[in-house]
This record gives sequence, C-alpha cells and structure tokens, in this order.
Amino acid sequence: MIKNIWLITLFTLREAMARKVFLFFAAISVVALLGLTLVFSVIGMDTFVDIANQTGSKGVLREVVTSIQFMIINPLTGLCLLLAIFSSASFVPNMMEKGNIDLLLSKPISRDQLLLGKFFGGILVVFVNVLFLVIGTWIIVSLKFSYWNFSFLYVSITVTFAFAVLYSIIVLLGIATRGSILGMMIAYFIFILLSPLLYAYFTEFRSIVENDTLKSFLDGLYYIVPKTSELTGIITLNLAAGKGVTEYQPIITSLIFLILIISFSIYLFRKKDF
Amino acid sequence: MYAIETNSLSKIYSTSFGKKKVNALSEVSLKIPPGTIFGLLGPNGAGKTTFVKLLLGITYPTFGSGLLLNEPISNYNIKRKIGYLPENHRYPSYLKGREVLKFFGRLSGMAGKDLEIKIDELLETVDLSKWGNSKVKTYSKGMMQRLGLAQSLINDPDLIFLDEPTDGVDPIGRKEIRDILIELKSKSKTILLNSHLLSEVEMITDRVGILNKGKLLREGSVKELTEKKEEYNIRLSDKDIDINKFINQNVTLIKNSDGSLSVKVDDVRSLNLLIDSFRKDGILIQEIELQKTSLEEMFITLINEADKESL
Repeated sequence: MIKNIWLITLFTLREAMARKVFLFFAAISVVALLGLTLVFSVIGMDTFVDIANQTGSKGVLREVVTSIQFMIINPLTGLCLLLAIFSSASFVPNMMEKGNIDLLLSKPISRDQLLLGKFFGGILVVFVNVLFLVIGTWIIVSLKFSYWNFSFLYVSITVTFAFAVLYSIIVLLGIATRGSILGMMIAYFIFILLSPLLYAYFTEFRSIVENDTLKSFLDGLYYIVPKTSELTGIITLNLAAGKGVTEYQPIITSLIFLILIISFSIYLFRKKDF
Repeated sequence: MYAIETNSLSKIYSTSFGKKKVNALSEVSLKIPPGTIFGLLGPNGAGKTTFVKLLLGITYPTFGSGLLLNEPISNYNIKRKIGYLPENHRYPSYLKGREVLKFFGRLSGMAGKDLEIKIDELLETVDLSKWGNSKVKTYSKGMMQRLGLAQSLINDPDLIFLDEPTDGVDPIGRKEIRDILIELKSKSKTILLNSHLLSEVEMITDRVGILNKGKLLREGSVKELTEKKEEYNIRLSDKDIDINKFINQNVTLIKNSDGSLSVKVDDVRSLNLLIDSFRKDGILIQEIELQKTSLEEMFITLINEADKESL
C-alpha cells in the first residue's frame, strides 16, 4: 500500500517538475537568495551585528536574526503558496481525464492509494520548494550573523502544512467538478481574504461586535475555516523565534478540517464512475 | 474456470438529475474460456467500452456481477494479471516511451532488472526500440498505439483487454499487431478485443459477441455466426444441366456465373433428395459446401434486425 502511494507521490513530483511554474518559482528562489547574498556583502551589517553581540544576550541576537529571516522569508513563502495553489490545482483533474484515469484504475492500485498519492505528491512538491528557500535563507543569514537559529527551519513545516490544508480543498473540488477553477478560487479566497479577516475579527474586533447571532456566526466560521493566516503568521514567527507553539487551537482545527476534507474526497473518489 | 465470467452485468446511467436513464449495458452474461481471443463487436454506443470498464472497476455496475480469472471484479489485486489498452489513451507528454513503460510496470508490481529487461523486450516487439528514449509528444498516432500495446503487456498479463488496438495504425503495423496477438494466444493468454474492423476481428478471434444498445445480441464462434443454414454451394461435373428440372417447392436453385449452383433447401432431407436426383440423372457431384456470410455482412444484418425490432 505504502509503495503504491509513494510511487504516485513521486510521479506527481515528476509531473510538477515538468511544469514551468515550479521552475519559475525555483528561479525566483535562486534570484532572491543571490540578491540576499549581494545585499549582505554590499551593505555593512557589521555595526548591526556588533550591537547585537555587545548586549551579550543570545536572546537579543536571536530576535534580530529571526526578525531579519522572517522579513525575508514571509513574502517569499506567500508567493510560493500563491504559485503552488495555481500549479497544483490541475493535478487531480488531470489525473481524472479520460484515457488517463482508465489506465491508472486498470492497475493493481486502489482508488484511496491513488488519491492519497496525488495529495502527498502535491505536498511534497511544495515542501521541496519551501525547504530550498528556507535552508538557503537560513544559511546566508546565519553565516552573516554567526548565529545558527535552528528553530527557523520550522518555517518549512508550517508553510507546507498551510498549503496542505488549502490543497485538500483543491483536491475535493477537483474531484467534484473535474476541473481546477473552483478549487483554485476557493483556496485563494481563504488564503488571501477569509482567513486574515477572520483572524483580525477574532483578535481585534470580536469585542466590538454586539449582535449575538452575528458573533456566533463569525465565531463558528472562524473555527471552521482553516487558519492559514495564523499558520503562516504568528505560529511560524513564534516557532522560528524558538518560542515554540503558544497556541495549538489553529493547528488542531486546521488539521481536523484537512482530515475531514480528505476523507470526504476519498469517499467521493471511491464512488465515482469514469 | 473462465477467464471472464459475467452474470447479468448491467449499467444504467442517470442524466438530467436522475430524470432520464440510459441503459448502457443490459444484463450481459458471458463466459470466456482461458486462451481465447474474444472479439466484442457493436456500433458506437453499443456498450463495448462500458463492459470493459465495468470489468476493470473503472465504472461500477448498477447490478449484476463478474469474475476475472475467478476473482470478483471488485478485487483490485487481480489486476496484477491483467493488461489494458484503453481507447484514446493518454500518456504524460513529458515522459519518454521507456519511462511510460517503467511507470506502469512499477504500478503493476514490477521492479529492478526484470522490469528493464521486459521494457527492452517489449519495445523490440512493438518496433519502438529506437524511440524508447524519445518523449511521447514526438510520437505519431500509430507509435502511441504500439506503445499502448507494450504498456498493456508490461506485467506479462494472463488476461488482456484491448480497445481498438489498431486504431491509427498503418496496414503493416496492423499485421504486426495481429501477429503479436496470435503469438500471445499461443502462450495461452486470453484477449478481449473491442474493434470496429470486423475483417480483422474475423481473422484472429475464436469467438465473438455482438452488442447493440447495451444488449448482447449473439455470441458464438466466428464459424457458427457466419454459417448460412440450409444454403449450399454445389459444383457439378456437368455445368450445362437444366436446373428447372430440379426445382420444386422445397428446393431453390440458382446457377452462378462460374457454373456452380447456389442451393436453398428447407432441410437436410430435401438436400439429400436433390443429390439423389442428380445421381439418378448421372450427374457427378464434385463439391458441396455450406455457404458462409462474412462477419461484416452478418453483423450489419443482425444490427438492422435488432433496430427494426426495437422500433
């Protein structure tokens, strides 16, 4: 079973590599890392490093290094997720095309294995891209400041997890509609608009909402909708700063959402006639 | 044990929110023994591809059941022993021919050196050795079809489903594919062949089934289906006989341009009485042959009759 899932996962990675958008992102990552190296070599950061070191506190140095790393990585991983959603949206609809799905289902592989392979394949693609970017940034900044903040590497996991949650929606809607458009639109809507707005509501504006019905509705919506804003924001920042996970609720509710959506996707895929 | 055994296998598709129902396959019961080349014939939309998809678990039956190599069709592990070439198959354009075979070989449970050897052997068989390292997007339709055939044989299957295997292949390529199928038969493989090319089917199949509008109209050996009952061709030593003398209410005689006689009799007894009459007149019989129709002729007649009945 694992062998079959792994085979489809690797095949999905191969499919992704054949697409220009992943190469495009890899090129952006390389350019960003080269640019960072150039900036660090041209702009004198020594004073900055000295001040941080003079305090004698590792905590201050960590704060400085983490902040710089996060300032660099946050927009890049955001761009990575936008591109990843766009590129991975067609994995499942492509698999379900006539002439392709017939061949796959005629082989000794179950439908569950096939779908899970596609799901993990999409995640692996994004993980590889994010990992490349995170490790590159980590090495350059760490070399410059002579401070190796290993916690920063957690960024690759939280960003990939945020993508996995969004990708589960793309998979489900890909199966239901046999197309990529709706899944892509919903994923973008949640990532760019809904999740940040609900996070802002929950942390800033909840106390000023007076209507109980509206409050209950927004509370419900907050807990149901995957919390990509927190996953790629505050949770990633805290982990990168070595503070660990301070709030488990966004991770747990997003994980439950992912499991439910993928389970329903498997159920739908099992029932489908091709 | 049968290679394929179906019992009232049926598929009803619902359209327009379930208001309209389409009988894609109606209670098809078939038994295909191992080592047979079975031709499944029928016009477009007859249910041939649906039948294969149901057997392979690509589509689910509405009711009825089926066994492949004595295992229920729901058991996906049996597919280790099955090969399939679908109609209009699609391979990722970025893969090379060899990579396509490797991927599907690995999905079928093969690996390592055995798989590499099998790939080389199959590329040679389908005459694509020189193209194995070229991307499939550079392949012609015929080459894609040959690659598809190689893919269907990658796991050395006992049962092979081929949907229009010679589609887009030139006459020489078709002959080569026919030869491959005959060789597979000699290795006791069972082949279910869906094809529109009836003359081709006639050449290589042992048995055929004719589907129309989801129903199995006829099933039997090519010989059984193409024989014209009570119609004979008789070659006599004397080509100038007066046939009117032998015609009666039980016997119809027509003289052919080559001098032979086409005879239509009510039963075998009438044929024997006719032979007795010839002998009585001292006419020597050189040959008596049961008349045959072509598979194509039989197919068209059968489909037309079925269509008239359904009106």
